[in-house]
Amino acid sequence: MQLTITNLDKVYPNGVHAIKNVNLTISNGMFGLLGPNGAGKSSLMRTISTLQEADSGSVFLDDMDVLKDKDGVRRILGYLPQEFGVYPKVTALTMLDHIASLKGIANKKERKEVVEALLQKVNLWQHRNKNLGTYSGGMKQRFGIAQALLGNPKLIIVDEPTAGLDPTERNRFHNLLSEIGENTIVILSTHIVEDVTNLCENMAIICEGSVVAEGNPTELVKEVQGNIWEKSIEKSELDAYQAKYNVISTQLKAGKKEIHVWSDSQPDASFTEARATLEDVYFHHIAENSSVPI
Amino acid sequence: MFWQIFTFELKYRIKRPATWAYFGILALFGCFIFAAGGISGSEKAHINSPFIISAILGIMSIFGILISAAVMGVPVYRDEEHKVKHYYFTYPISESGYLLGRYFGSMLILFLISIGFHVGVILGVMIGPGLGFEEPERFAAINLWHHIQPSMTIFWPNLIFTGTLFFALVALTRKVFISYVGSVLFLIGYLLAINLSGDLDNQHLAALLDPFGINAFNDITKYWTPVEQNTLVAPLTGDFLTNRLIWLIASALVLGFTLFRFDFTKFVTGGKKGKKVKAVAAETSQKNLLDILPSVNLSFSNSLFVSQLFSQGWLEFKNILVDWYFRAMIIGGVIFLGVDAYMGNKIYGTPSLPLTNYMIESKNGTYIIFVFIILIFFTGEVVHRDKTLKFSQITDALPVPNWVTYGSKFWALTLVCIFMATLVIVVGVFSQTLQGYFNYEFGKYFTDLYLLELPNYLQLTMLAFFVHIMVNKKFLGHIVSIGIWLVLFGINSIGEFNYNMALYSYRPGYRISDMNGFGHFFEAQNSFNIYWLAFGGILLLIGNLFWNRGSESSWKSRLKLAKQRYNKRTLVWMIGLLVLWIGTGAFIYNNVSVKNTWMTSKEGEKRRADFEKKYSKYKHLTQPKITKVTVNVDIFPQERRVLAKGDFVIVNKTAIPIDTLHFNMAGSRPKILEATIDGEELKPGILDTVFNYHRYVMPKTMNYGDTMLMHLTIESAHKGFPNEGFGSDIVDNGTFFNTSIFPSMGYSTQGELTSDLDRKKYDLGVKEYGLPEQTDSIGTCHLLFDDDADYVDYEAIVSTDPDQIAISPGYLQREWEENGRKYFHYKMDSPMLNFYNFCSAKYAVTKDVWKGDSQTVNIEIYHHPTHTQNIDRFIKSVKVSMDYYTQNFSPFQFRQMRILEFPRYANFAQSFANTVPYSEDFGWVGDFSDPEDTDYAFNVTAHEVAHQWWAHQVTPSATRGSNQISESMAEYAALMVLKEEYGEEAIFKFLEYEVNSYLRGRSGESKFEKTLMDNDNQAYVWYRKGGSILYALQDYITADSLNLAFANYIKAAAFRAEAPFTTTLEWFDFIQAKTPDSLRYFLDDSFHKITLYENRMKEATYTDLGNDEYEVTLKFDSQKIYYDGNGKELERGLTPNLLEIGIFAEDGKNETGMTKKMPLFHEKRWIEPGEQSMTIRVKGKPVKAGIDPYNKMIDRVSDDNLMNCEEGE
Repeated sequence: MQLTITNLDKVYPNGVHAIKNVNLTISNGMFGLLGPNGAGKSSLMRTISTLQEADSGSVFLDDMDVLKDKDGVRRILGYLPQEFGVYPKVTALTMLDHIASLKGIANKKERKEVVEALLQKVNLWQHRNKNLGTYSGGMKQRFGIAQALLGNPKLIIVDEPTAGLDPTERNRFHNLLSEIGENTIVILSTHIVEDVTNLCENMAIICEGSVVAEGNPTELVKEVQGNIWEKSIEKSELDAYQAKYNVISTQLKAGKKEIHVWSDSQPDASFTEARATLEDVYFHHIAENSSVPI
Repeated sequence: MFWQIFTFELKYRIKRPATWAYFGILALFGCFIFAAGGISGSEKAHINSPFIISAILGIMSIFGILISAAVMGVPVYRDEEHKVKHYYFTYPISESGYLLGRYFGSMLILFLISIGFHVGVILGVMIGPGLGFEEPERFAAINLWHHIQPSMTIFWPNLIFTGTLFFALVALTRKVFISYVGSVLFLIGYLLAINLSGDLDNQHLAALLDPFGINAFNDITKYWTPVEQNTLVAPLTGDFLTNRLIWLIASALVLGFTLFRFDFTKFVTGGKKGKKVKAVAAETSQKNLLDILPSVNLSFSNSLFVSQLFSQGWLEFKNILVDWYFRAMIIGGVIFLGVDAYMGNKIYGTPSLPLTNYMIESKNGTYIIFVFIILIFFTGEVVHRDKTLKFSQITDALPVPNWVTYGSKFWALTLVCIFMATLVIVVGVFSQTLQGYFNYEFGKYFTDLYLLELPNYLQLTMLAFFVHIMVNKKFLGHIVSIGIWLVLFGINSIGEFNYNMALYSYRPGYRISDMNGFGHFFEAQNSFNIYWLAFGGILLLIGNLFWNRGSESSWKSRLKLAKQRYNKRTLVWMIGLLVLWIGTGAFIYNNVSVKNTWMTSKEGEKRRADFEKKYSKYKHLTQPKITKVTVNVDIFPQERRVLAKGDFVIVNKTAIPIDTLHFNMAGSRPKILEATIDGEELKPGILDTVFNYHRYVMPKTMNYGDTMLMHLTIESAHKGFPNEGFGSDIVDNGTFFNTSIFPSMGYSTQGELTSDLDRKKYDLGVKEYGLPEQTDSIGTCHLLFDDDADYVDYEAIVSTDPDQIAISPGYLQREWEENGRKYFHYKMDSPMLNFYNFCSAKYAVTKDVWKGDSQTVNIEIYHHPTHTQNIDRFIKSVKVSMDYYTQNFSPFQFRQMRILEFPRYANFAQSFANTVPYSEDFGWVGDFSDPEDTDYAFNVTAHEVAHQWWAHQVTPSATRGSNQISESMAEYAALMVLKEEYGEEAIFKFLEYEVNSYLRGRSGESKFEKTLMDNDNQAYVWYRKGGSILYALQDYITADSLNLAFANYIKAAAFRAEAPFTTTLEWFDFIQAKTPDSLRYFLDDSFHKITLYENRMKEATYTDLGNDEYEVTLKFDSQKIYYDGNGKELERGLTPNLLEIGIFAEDGKNETGMTKKMPLFHEKRWIEPGEQSMTIRVKGKPVKAGIDPYNKMIDRVSDDNLMNCEEGE
């Protein structure tokens, strides 16, 4: 399967240009979307998930026109929104069973099996008979994951799935994702760079509605290797350095500031070449494309 | 500290849109109510009279509960809601400073909001005259004191009370939910209490317990006349003052308690406690942990979609059922249903049996308001639930078609509608069982609630559903939905536009009867239901296109989605529904506007004015008088058609020659098929089919004494169904119509506009009286009830369906069957009034005989077969009446007395010669098991029988005051018969109703109150005042004397064959002749003037003299006040009046089980007006003492005539 996004564009009524002429091709496997808050990740994901209209452009899943054939998309979709609520006075078991039936699992026995299995996978088995209203933030998030994975979805779109999960649960989720069949597209948005490094074969960085970088994480890191320079400076010197160099990130280290600077060659002798990471890729692209300074 | 918090609260609230929204709502409300005419009462009372402003402020305080809960509930809750409490309370502020600051700040805002109402009222009064709903002269100049005084005594203290209550509730419980549910429950509880306290004997207690002071206010003002309403504000004294103080102190105590209990730490920590979570034993049964999720088969078929629709709807419905707000509303609705069903249909304070009809009708009481609120509110909940919970992000992306989600939501609401309809049945059956009545008519229940009522609930829901979808904002959706209903309601009741086809979900009224079941109403009900369901379906279809699925709500994207969703199937449905809607619409239009006529009330008014302008010139036109009536009437109940043929012998009794006949038809329905005079066809001169007033040229001029035979053939049939109206004269079972099926001759003033304002509007000149003076030569030439004849000979052949009995006045000569129809031949063998009826129904007959000294009368009761329980009361009443009237007045002129039941489409009984049609609702199903209750079946029967003397023997002329000769006399006679059977206690109970009705009647009078001598159109004077005055008179001069006066009057006036007919002047002369000179003042006060007493006990003490002897000292005030017709005080009586003084032991019971006063001393004494004291010795321990203790005089405050005695120093 292949998801092809062509010239996708969307302006909200309040004037925000959420998606700017986006072109992406996403194949089976995990695809990571990285970007700062408000970059347009969620807008893009909602558009693919049939929840909002685009102004122009197209989205195709193989031959299926995602923007038109909404029912078709929904039948193979698993979607976890960034923010969602629940019916407070219904138990997880009842609600998942209900959602499973809405997803087209007509056979009662099958439904029971898959719901129970999922509840175990997301570690909610022992809380299955509690009302959703009593769930903690993390439990609710896991419930969201479970519902997204119901019904063998071929296209899974998860918007910041690990937000609010403790490290154990985050690992459990990563394992769960990796179990998902091969013939499936998983689109995952996050601002935790490490998640993408660990999980995704492919990724894109989105900033202010546009795709600013796309590719395999390792490849992307390779591309910037040699252009990242680091130096430790006093806090008070930061302004001067920012004025003089293309500072892409700063970090506190032992009371001093460690800055990363983008440069084709060594800016001066006091800088040393840094071992580039995906984070540098991210900061570099953001710094280059953002209209507000970081 | 207080100051900073207080000012912050003010600044914060003053900028909140909610504050101004409430302000605006109140302003709109005030403006709307007053511009449109306020509470209707007397035309003479100003729309913005201080009385009306006060009364509406009282009502506003009840509904203001909702606003004060919203305003006063949030100031503390705000810190909880926005989680500000976690740091706010760490600031160095004191608890009392915090609470009081918030409290007073919000209270001030609440007052500010309350001013919105006054702003609206003032605006309404300013624009009202221009809008034209009411005449400009009904608006008085704005007087700020009339706003300020009631605000200070009623509105603001009430806001302080409810505001404090809700402030305390939320501050102490931290739950704003409590304040919402609490406000609804409080509102319900209050309305309920008001409902119940109406029955409280102890008015003082009811006045004090009412936290809003409305009872106390009503006690002061209930009998105020228009003049008083326009000038007085309720003085803050007595119970009213005590009440206000009690509830202000209560508010202070509640606030104090809150200050004492409120604690920052508890407020912060207490919130999370909640229920203890049951420690679930960690289930280790993790079964077989699958590595890979089991694979599943997906299917997407229509049948699956349908089952999804129902299961999702069910889930949605369950979510509503567990909602506490829903439960609170349902409990409220059930309570009101129960109260309406239980208190039921009371007549003169006596309950009726809990028939299924009444149980069903309780749905139209307060319950319907709950239905409205629940349906609108929960439609909003259901439509917006997923969005509000933010669950829609998940559900909207699920592979279910739009119509499944959409349908499931509507299905859930349908279940709510079914639930609400079913509740009526459940509560009804429960109520019946509780009252020991087991005749549950489930057929009626189901037919009414599921076939007729449920569609109406669905229509309400469809509109709310559509609005909520289109508006797409919950709160705004509620406002728009309620707004639409207010507009519809306003158009209907204030704009007086009632064309049901144009008002969404409206339909004609109908009534279920035991005799006629659902009768002829199905066709109209079902047509309208289909018509509006089809329209609602169109709304739903449009709503489906705009159903907001997905994360965007801009109109641009919704339009885009709607276009995507629009397909052939939508088109087919749309066309189908449109065809259905237009089809039924055309059908209805044909019925209400083509086969029947409909006009607005303005058009109706104008028509009456035009008719008067065009034809009143014929008012004194001489027409012949009928002397003999022979009719052949064929009733076709199933077809709702009547064919009536009449032969009338007419004679010219005047010296004026007659050459034209004027026929005035009662309506457009009866059609003249044939009209001849002496066999020669009557030629129409002018046929006026607009006003149904036709002029015919007589074939030959009629001179004095000429006699001719007029023959008329009339057809009257109901065609289709009208926009409104029961059309109850010809029905399947229970037909009842009268003389008016035939045209009356000449112009009648009956249909003229009477309201002064209306008449001015149409340049007609004020009409003070409907009848001429008692000395008027034309007036005394005609009879009051019918000027087409004096006495007539009467004979009738009536035919009907073979399973029915048809009845008309006279004695049955013969009955036979012919051509599958049943015929009855009646003939009256003595002259009677030209006033006759025709009834036909499937009757059962109960017969009895009354034997007098020299007379025997056959009593026949024609009744619905199942209505047997009170027949004995009717028969008994006829017998006791016959005894009393033949002994005291004169012999009965007929040999037979018949009572006929007719369906409950109207609620009255009417006396024709030897025949009394009597409504199903008026005694047949009364529950007279409690001896304390008035046996009105007995009383009303006695009244109707009395009319055989007073109306049929003594036939008053068409002059002022004549109604007193029939109605006051019948009322008096019935009271005397009631006394014979039930003792004087029953009379006092009944007189309480009489006096109350009289005083209320005069307080709502739109012209001016008339006297017993000249009253020609005020029922409250001729029944209520007349009855109680004549009763008091016989108490003064003895019943024997008064009855002798009436017997003499009958001797002089009965069966007067020729003009001049009798007037109140003659009547009064006979009364006066038997009244001693000393009591002439009472006659003058009562018959020629408007006189009210103010008798009031001040103190009653006794000293024990030993030997069971006591000396009682009474201090009291006695006043007698004269009023003009407008209710303005003229002067106070200065001469002594003969009034009763009474001293009583504990109450006992009389023979029939009714509570009875036990007098130790009881005497009439001449009492000077003014404050005075009196000492009386009695044997036996005195308990109560009073002046006019039985309320025989008319007194606006009746409960201060008697007071408990206390032991003196």
